[in-house]
Amino acid sequence: MSGQFRPSRRAMLKVGLAGAATVAAPAILRLSAEAQAGPIKIGMPLALTGALGSVGQQQKRGAELYAKLQNAKGGILGRPIELLIEDTAGNPANCVRKAQEMVERHNCRLFTGITLSSEALAIVPKLAEWDSIFISSDNGDGRLTAESFVPNFFRANISGPMGTRAVSLYLRTAKLEKFYALGLDYAWGHNSVQVFENEVKKSKKEFLGKVFAPTGTKDYSSYIAKIRQSGADAVFLVMQGDDNNAFLSQSRQYRLPEKVKLLTEIVDLASIRAVGDASLGLIGSSRYSFTYDHPLNNEFVELWKKEHNTVPDTFEGEQWQCMKVFEAGITKAGGIEAGKLRPGLEDIEIESVKGKVHIRKCDHQGVQQGFMVEVVKPAGFDTPIPQVIATFPGASTTPKCNTMTFED
Amino acid sequence: MSAALRPLLIVVVLVLALAPFGLPPFAMTLLTEALILGLFAMSLDLMFGYTRLVSFGHAAAYGLGAYASGWLLLHTGMPLLFAVFGAALLTGVVAIGIGWMCTLATGVSFSMLTLAFAQLLYAISFKWTSVTGGSDGLAGIPRTPGPFGFAALTSKIGFYYLVLACLVGAFLLCFALVRSPFGAVLRGIRENEAKTIALGYNTRLYKIAVVAVAYALGGLAGALYAPFAGFANTELLFWLLSGQVLIMVIVGGSGTLVGPILGAAFFMLMEHQLSSWTEAWALYFGLIFIAFVLFAPQGIWGLATGRLQMGRLRRASGP
Repeated sequence: MSGQFRPSRRAMLKVGLAGAATVAAPAILRLSAEAQAGPIKIGMPLALTGALGSVGQQQKRGAELYAKLQNAKGGILGRPIELLIEDTAGNPANCVRKAQEMVERHNCRLFTGITLSSEALAIVPKLAEWDSIFISSDNGDGRLTAESFVPNFFRANISGPMGTRAVSLYLRTAKLEKFYALGLDYAWGHNSVQVFENEVKKSKKEFLGKVFAPTGTKDYSSYIAKIRQSGADAVFLVMQGDDNNAFLSQSRQYRLPEKVKLLTEIVDLASIRAVGDASLGLIGSSRYSFTYDHPLNNEFVELWKKEHNTVPDTFEGEQWQCMKVFEAGITKAGGIEAGKLRPGLEDIEIESVKGKVHIRKCDHQGVQQGFMVEVVKPAGFDTPIPQVIATFPGASTTPKCNTMTFED
Repeated sequence: MSAALRPLLIVVVLVLALAPFGLPPFAMTLLTEALILGLFAMSLDLMFGYTRLVSFGHAAAYGLGAYASGWLLLHTGMPLLFAVFGAALLTGVVAIGIGWMCTLATGVSFSMLTLAFAQLLYAISFKWTSVTGGSDGLAGIPRTPGPFGFAALTSKIGFYYLVLACLVGAFLLCFALVRSPFGAVLRGIRENEAKTIALGYNTRLYKIAVVAVAYALGGLAGALYAPFAGFANTELLFWLLSGQVLIMVIVGGSGTLVGPILGAAFFMLMEHQLSSWTEAWALYFGLIFIAFVLFAPQGIWGLATGRLQMGRLRRASGP
């Protein structure tokens, strides 16, 4: 456009036609719509890379093993399971685009595994338009079953408020009086810290303060200093993935556990493996642990060992449970259409790796027992493991319908 | 507009106008997003390509526009058209202040100040929860009908035409701007600011003006994105997006207006496809960017027009 070069009219028309061909190409290449009796497609837009990449990878492995074994048994309702897995890098914009592609291009109407709560919050308003069902396997944000609840959303996993509640129930009998909290600066972190603060205040103990770190923080020295200066007996952590690993390693270097007890909303085997002995003594709630002594869990752990030569991690177990909820709902509904599957999933009860899971009708939360674990290193283990130290019935760890707070 | 360029642009606009009749739903979704990003990248080209004002914080315009239109649509029920253009206007007005501050510096210092303002807005979006929704952002943003019950733009196809109209309108505005005496001064600043000052121009005022126009158009892109995706969150203000839009401009071809639009479409489609094929998509994307910088610094548009020029010369020198 500088005036130095003026291509001919004919040449420009050629470029225009080439552009037209480019625009039309997707139409030529598009796949034909799948018949309703084809495979059961389950969309999984996952954060396979980025700060929470380890969580997304666990969800992927959990679903893949389930699909492999279930397909070997003939699938569900005689239809094979097909997983549509895409990387979102933990970005809600990517997540919406990938999910939209699964709906519009692949005629997918079932979703699970959307890794971040911020991604889930971007997706749920679209479920009605897409006529799709989304069963969460890891989203912790309490709002998804409270103020942001939509009828096509279900949660098979333990939510953030439920995990926090298990910690607070445990603390009622513990000799700790003063608390501080550190959470990741996004939906789940804020939500869980708020629930913890309320619970501490209700139990007449002292809540000294809270601080939030942006996802991807590498240096936690200033946060560790704040925790030390607060004079707290214990700090409640709402962290995950690389952030959790960085904090645990650095807290060990600064000898924080010698002064302040570390409590966490979620004990994750991947983090324990990553930081090794730095996690010893950590107490927290657990969404899933291979150490739960339950016949179905023992069976699952053996299957997992056979496939991966190691024990399953938190979100591998949670994803497995979520797939079992899908299976039970689809079987009961006799199809995957949202209009059939939604009532099929409501009030369903399954026996899972964590015991009974009841998907209640009022807010689609999976009611299940809560667990507290402590990271220990028993004889015969090279790395620390989470050991169950307390369990709480689902009725006491699950908030009332469409809320994320507790009355007692 | 050159005589040779006019028919090409008319053909392209016609093809884009006819696209909803031939493309499947998801291709339309991608195309709509590509056009929105194209508008965003083109707005940066005014600063980067024509004035050599390298902004490391252009996500500020996109995010501010997205939050403003999202908030208006969610909380006031304002008609889509008013919310979108109101958000763009607001972004332009805010940009006058940003431009005034940033143009106190030049070169890398200017770039760092733009980054600082973007990060400031990013931090505000996290903390001002009552307005921005904090880390959750604003979700469920509707495409409201109106005014006077006019609901054609609320549908997927109707919204696509709104985006296309905005892009074409913005392109014509930018094209007229860079061909005007105002644009000549911008190019003068790009080539030799001292000389332009010596000629009697108050270059700082011109720079503030171009920042305001570029931000308003970037804000328009963001204002369209919010009702398109149905959400606005902090990622839209993050420095990563500022880096990505710079890549779009460089890959497409800076200082051409058309190039950044192509660069944005290329960037989005490559990111989308590569991440479907491999988890190491960021690595391959980085390699592609390096290849462009090393072997095609003039970008996609430069490559395309270069080939056309070669063909024309070959024909002219033929028997």
